[in-house]
Amino acid sequence: MRIVYTDVLVIGGGLAGLRAAVGARRRGHEVVILSLVPAKRSHSAAAQGGMQASLGNTAKGEGDNEDVHFEDTVRGSDWGCDQAVARLFVHAAPQAVRELAAWGVPWNRVRAGEREVVMDGRRVMLSERPEAHGLIAARDFGGTKKWRTCYVSDGTGHAMLYAVSDKAVAEGIPVHERMEAIALIHEGGRCHGAIVRNLVTGELSAYVAKATCIATGGFGRIYRVTSNAVINEGIGAAIALETGAASLGNMEAVQFHPTTIFPAGILVTEGCRGDGGLLKDAAGHRFMPDYEPEKKELASRDVVSRRMEEHIRAGHGVKSRFGEHLWLDITLLGAAHIDGRLREVKEICRHFLGIDPARDFIPVRPAQHYSMGGIRTDARGEAYGLAGLFACGEAACWDLHGFNRLGGNSVAETVVAGMIVGENIADFVESPAGELQVSTALVQGFLAAEQGRLDALLQGKGMESATDIRRRMQDIMTDKVGIFRRGDLLAEAVDELQVLLQRSRRIGVATKRPGSNPELVAAYRVQKMLKLALCVAYGALQRTESRGAHYREDCPRRDDANWLMRTLASWNDPFQTLPTLAYEALDVRGMELPPGWRGYGARDAIEHPATASRAAEVAAIREAFGHADRAIVQQALMPYEHLVPLRFRGHNERLGDPR
Amino acid sequence: MSRLLERSATLPPPIARQAPETPLALTHVTAHPRLRRSRWPARLDLLQSASGLFLALFLVAHMFFVSSILISQDAFYTVARFFEGAYFLATPQPWIVSCVVGGVLAVFVLHAWLALRKFPASFRQYQAFAEHRARLRHDDTGLWWLQLWTGFALFFLASIHLYGMLVHPELIGPYESADRVWTGSMWPLYLLLLFAAEIHGGIGLYRLALKWGWLPGGNPDAARRRLRRLKTAFSLFFIGLGLVSLLAYVRLGIAHAERAGERYAPSGDGTPATLAEGAAVTPVVVPSRRGG
Amino acid sequence: MSTDTPRQLTLRILRSSPGEGIAPHWQDFRVDEAEGMTLFIALNEIRDTLDPSLQFDFVCRAGICGSCGMLIDGRPGLACRSLTRDFGPLITLAPLPVFALIGDLSVDTGSWMRGTAERLETWIHSQAEPDLTAVEARMEPELAEAIYELDRCIECGCCVAGCGTLRMREDFVGAVGLNKIARFRLDPRDERSDEDYYELIGDDSGVFGCMSLLGCHDVCPKGLPLQTQIAFLRRRMVAVGLK
Repeated sequence: MRIVYTDVLVIGGGLAGLRAAVGARRRGHEVVILSLVPAKRSHSAAAQGGMQASLGNTAKGEGDNEDVHFEDTVRGSDWGCDQAVARLFVHAAPQAVRELAAWGVPWNRVRAGEREVVMDGRRVMLSERPEAHGLIAARDFGGTKKWRTCYVSDGTGHAMLYAVSDKAVAEGIPVHERMEAIALIHEGGRCHGAIVRNLVTGELSAYVAKATCIATGGFGRIYRVTSNAVINEGIGAAIALETGAASLGNMEAVQFHPTTIFPAGILVTEGCRGDGGLLKDAAGHRFMPDYEPEKKELASRDVVSRRMEEHIRAGHGVKSRFGEHLWLDITLLGAAHIDGRLREVKEICRHFLGIDPARDFIPVRPAQHYSMGGIRTDARGEAYGLAGLFACGEAACWDLHGFNRLGGNSVAETVVAGMIVGENIADFVESPAGELQVSTALVQGFLAAEQGRLDALLQGKGMESATDIRRRMQDIMTDKVGIFRRGDLLAEAVDELQVLLQRSRRIGVATKRPGSNPELVAAYRVQKMLKLALCVAYGALQRTESRGAHYREDCPRRDDANWLMRTLASWNDPFQTLPTLAYEALDVRGMELPPGWRGYGARDAIEHPATASRAAEVAAIREAFGHADRAIVQQALMPYEHLVPLRFRGHNERLGDPR
Repeated sequence: MSRLLERSATLPPPIARQAPETPLALTHVTAHPRLRRSRWPARLDLLQSASGLFLALFLVAHMFFVSSILISQDAFYTVARFFEGAYFLATPQPWIVSCVVGGVLAVFVLHAWLALRKFPASFRQYQAFAEHRARLRHDDTGLWWLQLWTGFALFFLASIHLYGMLVHPELIGPYESADRVWTGSMWPLYLLLLFAAEIHGGIGLYRLALKWGWLPGGNPDAARRRLRRLKTAFSLFFIGLGLVSLLAYVRLGIAHAERAGERYAPSGDGTPATLAEGAAVTPVVVPSRRGG
Repeated sequence: MSTDTPRQLTLRILRSSPGEGIAPHWQDFRVDEAEGMTLFIALNEIRDTLDPSLQFDFVCRAGICGSCGMLIDGRPGLACRSLTRDFGPLITLAPLPVFALIGDLSVDTGSWMRGTAERLETWIHSQAEPDLTAVEARMEPELAEAIYELDRCIECGCCVAGCGTLRMREDFVGAVGLNKIARFRLDPRDERSDEDYYELIGDDSGVFGCMSLLGCHDVCPKGLPLQTQIAFLRRRMVAVGLK
C-alpha cells in the first residue's frame, strides 16, 4: 500500500484543475494533479467558440463592462445563479483573459478598419477603431448584449488548455496520469484526500492532502446523446456525493446545446451562429425569428434548443435514417471565414459527415452539453459540509450558471474559478484549519473498503452486465429527462433508475485481471453514475416549475414564489436508492438584479413576494447615486469585493477609460 | 522534477513541514544559464548538405563531360585535354586532373563520413527502420532507404572509380576510356555506379530542397510534389544519358579492343599538334589490363 | 454511400497485455458496418458485445484531443474520425510504436509528451509578471493567427510514430517538439533568443537529427506545416552555429 502526501491534491487535469493547481503552487505549496488522461487531452480542449470577458475592444463590444456581463449572466441563469459569484466572475474574467494572453494564448486580435460581417442573415460593414488595433477581439455569442466572447479561431479551449498545461509544467507540478480518484478520505466533516486507482496497474493508493480540489468536469455521459467526451462521467461529483457529507447542487439543471452534428452528437460551436450562421428547417426556412423575434438564433442555449425541438415536433424536421434533425447554414459566411475562424467545424464536417460547410448545410440537433449542477460550494469554492474539499469548474456548483449558462461562460469559468479557488485553497492550507491531522488507521480503512468493493466486483457472483445497465440508464436519461420534461415521465425515470441502481449492485465482471481492465472500470463507474442520474431525475421530478434549461411541460412557468431555490442532493446512506433532497433559498432581498424577464423566452413567471420591494429598493439606490461611478453604485447594491482574492482586486482598465 | 513526498504507511503523516520553498514562478521564467552547447552539430549538418550538393553538381557536370562522346570522339578528347589545362598551359598537365579528383575524393570521403552518422548504428536500429518502412508505405521514407543503400554501394563503386582517375589522370580520352570500359572490364562497375550515383544524387538534391525549405511557389505541398517529379526526371534523364554514353564507350571499346592501349589522336581541327603527336608515340598500358 | 446489405468488416487488432506478460498477437473481430461508422463506433461495439477486455483510448471522439492515435492499416491516424467506409473489409489496427505500451491499442503518450515539454521548456519565458488589470499588450492580428497555426498541435503522437529517425534514435526530439520550438520562437511574448533555442535543439537529437523523411508532415491529422517549420528552424539554428 502506498500513501502519497501533498499539500494540495487536485483531481482533474482540465483547465479549472490546472489553473487552481498553478495558483496554489505559486503560493509555495506542493500540488499533485490526478488525471484520467494526459492533462492536455482533457475535455476543456473541445471548447471551441471562446470565453466571455468584457474587454470591450471590438466595435460591437464597445461600452461593455462588468455590469453588462453580470446582467447577461444572471438573465441567462434565469435568476438561478448566485449573484455575488456572478459578480466575482465577471470581475475576474478580463484578468483571466489577460493572464492567458501573457501565458501565450494567441487570442484573435482586432484589425482596425472596415470589415464585412454577417449579422441577422445579411452582410454588413463594421468599422473597428484604430486605437483598438492589436487588442484582443471578441465575437458574438448567444444571450449577450455585447460581442464579448474572446476567441482563438474555433480552437479556444485547445489553445487555453495547452497554455495553462504548459504553465503547470513550467511550475513543476506533477500530473499523475491515468489515475482515478474513486473515493474521498474524510472524517468528521473534514476531507483528507482520496483513494486513487491506477488505471494501468489497478493498484490502489491513498493521496493524503491538506486540501483536495475536485475539478473533474461534467457528467454528460449519463445521457446517450451528448457532446461530452467519453471521460465525462462525473466520477468526481459522485465521490463527493458518496461521502454523505457534501452535497450536489441543482443537478436537474442540465444544458442541451442546440448545434451538435446529427446523429454523432459532436459539438459545432455556438460561434457558427455568433458569426452569422442560421438555423433552417426541412423547407429551408429560417424559423428562429418566428419564435424569438428579438434574439433569433442568438437567444440563450436553453431557449434555442427548446425552439428547435418544438419545431421538429411541429413536423418541420428533416427526416433521415437515424431520425429527424434541422440544418445549420453557415454557407453564407463564405469559405474564407470558415477556413480562418471555423476550421475545427470544417474538419469535423469533413471527417464525420463528408461535407463542406462552405457549400452544404450541417445536420444538427440539440444534445446534452453541460452540467450546471455539481458539487455545491460557497463563493470561495469550498464544499458545503466537508472542510478541506474544494471544487471548481463544471464539476462544481459554485453557482455561476444557475439554470442555464451562457455560451462562453463555462470556459471562462474554468480559468476564473481556478484563479480564485486556487488562491482560496492556498489561504486554507496556510490557515490553522488547513493543518493535516489524519490517522493512518483512517486511511487504511478507506483503502480496505475500496479494495473490498473492487474485489467484490472481480470475484463476486454477480451476473448483471455493466454495459447493459449503462446503456439503459443513458436511454432513460435521454428519453425521459431531456429537453422537455413531464412529471409522469420523470416519475417513470426515477423508478427505473432505482431498479437499475439495485441491479448495479449485482454486476459481474468477466475479465478478472486486476490491472488495466476496461470492464472493471465500467462496472464501478456505472454504480456511481446511476447515483448522479438519480439526482438529476429526482431533482427534476420534484422541481415543479420551468427555469432555464429545466423545462417542465406540465409546469411551464418559472415559479419564483415557490422555487427560487437551489436543490441540494446528498446520499447519506450507501444503501438508499434515492438522494436526499434539501433546498437552499436564494435571497431576493440581496439581489443586485431582482427577477424579471430575461429578454427572450417566456414572460409569464410567477413573481416572488419580495421581488417588487427589492426592485423598488434597487431603483431607489440607483436614483440616489445619480451619476456616481458605476463601481460605487454597484457596491451599494450588492457588495462582493470581500470575495475577491487580494491578488485580483482592482479596477479592470479598458480602452478609452475615463480614469 | 517531482518534489513529491512519498512515505510508507507505517510512518505518521508529516504534520509540520519545512517552510514552503520559493515559488518556482520566478525561477522558471528565465532560461537558466547552461554550458554553451557545441556549434559543431550545426556546422557538420551544413557540411553534409554542402558536400552533397557539391558532389551532385559535380555529378551533373561530369555526366555532361562524359557524354560528350556522343557528339564525337574529338569532342570528348577536347574536354579531357581541357581539364589538363592544355588550352592555358604549354603542355597538358594530367596532375591537374589528379588534383581535381583528389579534391572530389576528399569531399566524397567527408560526405560519406558525415552521412554515416545517419546510418543505422546497430541491428536493432536497422530492424526498427526496416519494419517502419515496410509498415508505413510512405514515399519519402522509402526514398531514404534507397538513398541509404545506394550510398552504401557508392562507398565502394565510387571509391574504385575515383582511385583509378586519381592515379591515372592521363588515361581519360576516347580510346583510353573505351578500353578501360571494355577491355578493362569496368563496364559492370560503371553500370552499377551510374544507377547508384544518379539515384542517390537525385534523391539527395530533392531532400536538400526539403531539408532547407527551398520550396518555390506559394504552396509548399504543391512545391514538394513538383520537386518530386523533378527528382524522378533528374534521375531518369541522367541514367538515360549515362546508359547511352556507356553504350557508346562499350561499342568503341569493342571496336578498339584489338588495339587496346593505343592513345587517341584527334582528327586535328583546332587541337594542338604537339598534343596529338605526343599521344601517338607514347605506348601506354591500360591499368586494368595491367592488373590482369 | 449506403448499400442494402452492410459489409462485414474484420478488424485485425494487435492484442497485448504487458502487465500480464501477454505478448503481442493478432486477433480478428467481425462487425457489421453501419452508415457513418467510425473506428470509435466499431471498437466500442467490439468491446460492448465481443470482448470487454479490449483496451483503447478515446476521449473527445471528435478529432480534437489526440487520444486515439493508432496505426490504421500501418499508418498513424486518429481512430475516432476514421470512417470505416474509407477502408477495405479488413482493417488492421496496432498501437503506436515508440510510446510505452499499456495494452492492446493503448499507449502512454502522456509521459512522452510531458518529457518533451520539460526538455524543450515549451512555455512562454518572460521576465515580467503581467499586470492583469491593465489593458493587454497588443499583437498584430496576422501574427496571432500565425502562432495559432502552429499552436494547433494536439500531441496525438502520429508524427512520432511516422518518423523513421525516431524509430532508430529514441532521443530524437521529433516533429512535435520542433513544431513547438517554432511556435514559441514566433511568439514575441517569449523572450528567448535563437541562442537559447540552440541550447535546446542544436544537436543531432534536435533539429540536425531530422533526415527530412517527412513522415511527420504526411501523417499529421491537423495538417500542420511541419515540413516548412523544421526547415526554417534548421536554417535558424545553422545560422547560430555559424556565428
